[in-house]
Amino acid sequence: MKSTKSNLTRRRLLASGLAAPFVSMMPGVLTPARANETVKLQFMYPVGVSGDINTIISGMISDFNATHDGIEVEAIYAGSYDNTEQKVITALGVGEPPALWLPINSSLQTFLGLDALEDITEQAKSDDIYDDFIGGFLNTAVSDDRLYGLSYQPSTPVLYYNKDAFGALGIAKAPETWDELFETAKALTIRDGDELKRWGLTIGGGWHDWMFEGYCRQNGLVPWEKDKVLWDRPEAIEALSFWKTMVDAGCMAPASTWQGSANDFMAGSTAMLYHSTGSLTNLRKSSPFEVGVAFMPKKKQWGASQGGGPIMIAKKQSDAKKEAAWTFARWMTNTENQAAWSRATGYLAVRKSSWEQPEMQQYLAEVPQAEVAMKQAQYSGAFLQVPAYSRARDSLKSAIDRTLAGEIAPAAALTDATAEVNREITRVLRRQKG
Amino acid sequence: MSDVTQAKLSTSRRRAHWQRHLRANWLHLIMAPLALLWLSPLVWILVTSLKTNVEVFDQAAGFWPQSLNFSNYPSTLSVAPFGTYLVNSVIVTSSILTGQMITITLAAYAFARLTFPGKNLLFTLFLLQVMFPIYAIFLTNFITLREMGLVNTILAMIVPFIASGYGTFMLRQSFRQVPSELSDAARLDGCNHLEILWHVFLPLVKPTLIAFGIISVVTHWNDYMWPLLVTNSEGIRTLPIGLGLLAKADSGADWPRLMAGTTIVVSPLLLLFVIFQRRFIDSFMHTGVK
Repeated sequence: MKSTKSNLTRRRLLASGLAAPFVSMMPGVLTPARANETVKLQFMYPVGVSGDINTIISGMISDFNATHDGIEVEAIYAGSYDNTEQKVITALGVGEPPALWLPINSSLQTFLGLDALEDITEQAKSDDIYDDFIGGFLNTAVSDDRLYGLSYQPSTPVLYYNKDAFGALGIAKAPETWDELFETAKALTIRDGDELKRWGLTIGGGWHDWMFEGYCRQNGLVPWEKDKVLWDRPEAIEALSFWKTMVDAGCMAPASTWQGSANDFMAGSTAMLYHSTGSLTNLRKSSPFEVGVAFMPKKKQWGASQGGGPIMIAKKQSDAKKEAAWTFARWMTNTENQAAWSRATGYLAVRKSSWEQPEMQQYLAEVPQAEVAMKQAQYSGAFLQVPAYSRARDSLKSAIDRTLAGEIAPAAALTDATAEVNREITRVLRRQKG
Repeated sequence: MSDVTQAKLSTSRRRAHWQRHLRANWLHLIMAPLALLWLSPLVWILVTSLKTNVEVFDQAAGFWPQSLNFSNYPSTLSVAPFGTYLVNSVIVTSSILTGQMITITLAAYAFARLTFPGKNLLFTLFLLQVMFPIYAIFLTNFITLREMGLVNTILAMIVPFIASGYGTFMLRQSFRQVPSELSDAARLDGCNHLEILWHVFLPLVKPTLIAFGIISVVTHWNDYMWPLLVTNSEGIRTLPIGLGLLAKADSGADWPRLMAGTTIVVSPLLLLFVIFQRRFIDSFMHTGVK
């Protein structure tokens, strides 16, 4: 009984799969057939920068549903990035994935490993996606030259600095190189005897592995390939040694938490802060002083890695749903919506044309800091897109923490972490094949 | 009686009275500061919920807000339908509690007082359930619920928690401490198992029931991950999910609104405790079991 049932489904699936290319060439045939049947899509998303995003996204989705007959999208808030990923993977596990979801870009290989993602390269090429999306953003959803998502809420780390503190010391501009960063941090650190009054620099904890990848890129190394990590390369070791030097000099906080570091910056307990561009609106509005934003200082070159995520489309669903999902993803990332989204949230608009909109130009005039983050995007790339990225991140964070706490030397910590993570990746890949 | 003795007597009585007063209430001297300590986070939450974003981090601003800024509450409520969430939280938590109370008393009675084949093996399995972290069985629970067609319903948040290995274990231990003479006497009077349970055991283990009830209510009132996983529609979600909207991943938290949300979420529990406080505490004192 059961086998007959599954055969039937498979046969139907194959048949519709075969029919798809022919049917899609005949839009006239397709449209009337579907007009009387509403395609229902589920869209799972996290809330990254503020609770209001929930209202904004549900508002956008109601607009979409109102203007698109035959498609009905259900907005499903799914917690943080990690929660969203868990929820999607659970749904995939029972064979009923949502039509679309918005994960962090690092999870690309994880989802590809689960064979969960629809390849949207051809649709994107016949559209204006490759021309109009800012390259650094589009690339976060590319693997082996195939596109698996439309970048929606990208962010990168930037250097925030307390302009009042800079002014008081007569420092005119933000540091541009690692050496200048070190000097500036030393100058800004305030100690009263043994008691610390203000750190020169804090690197937002919890995501410090993300900033660390930025440091590797600034030193000319992309510290991963799609099936291994390269943290034991000299460029990476040099980056961690540089952090250790700053900590030893007493001008950089050896550890912090994500929210705590933002709080410290707003309270004036640290003069410079590496944090996400996603925090711009909050830091700018909640700080009792003027907030400056600058590129993360460079070594050999500018560099950053992308946070945030693309909208991905599920592979295991009907073609009608896939097409509707593409329509929705395309609509969420169109010029006007990206401009409005960017202004409302502080995330960076992914389209060049969005930045040319008059209201975006006006936003940039009001908040010139936003442009810095956008410009840094051209030097940025995807973040740690390896299988088992979550465990990889934990290993790297632990290696960094132990080094900065003085328990282990930078080279040893990174070599150990690399070996451990690469072993784990090999295991995951073997399991996927077998 | 002369006036002198009368006066002496009254002074000594007053002194005795004062001493008795001190002896009876000296604990207050220690308890009052402790109570203040316990209250301080609540006061802090309340005060922060009335501040502006800038005030929270301005060290010069002091502890009290410049002006009472109640606008955080409406703006928190606009983020999500907290009223619906509150109703759902109450339904879920109270249903779980009711279900658990029934299942754990029956199961614990069986394990404590009956003999049947495989009892020890079965009890070991119950204990194993306590040892598995809930996260380890998320997927299997999810699959079960999906087969029952319960995903994205209020029942999905209740059903997996109706039985509690922990509660059964706790209650079994209390039942075993009840002297068997009491239940034997009840049996002689003609009680069946259910009547013995109701008239003899339950009144004697009230403190355990209440302790377990508090643990259960607090756990499920604050549960976040499971409700998030099994629900999709806003109409059936619970309060912690609304709170999750305010604690953000990509930037620092929005403290005033987060604290306003926290006030909304914790106040029903606090209110409940204040109302039933006497009963909670009384039940810990009046019990035949030591």
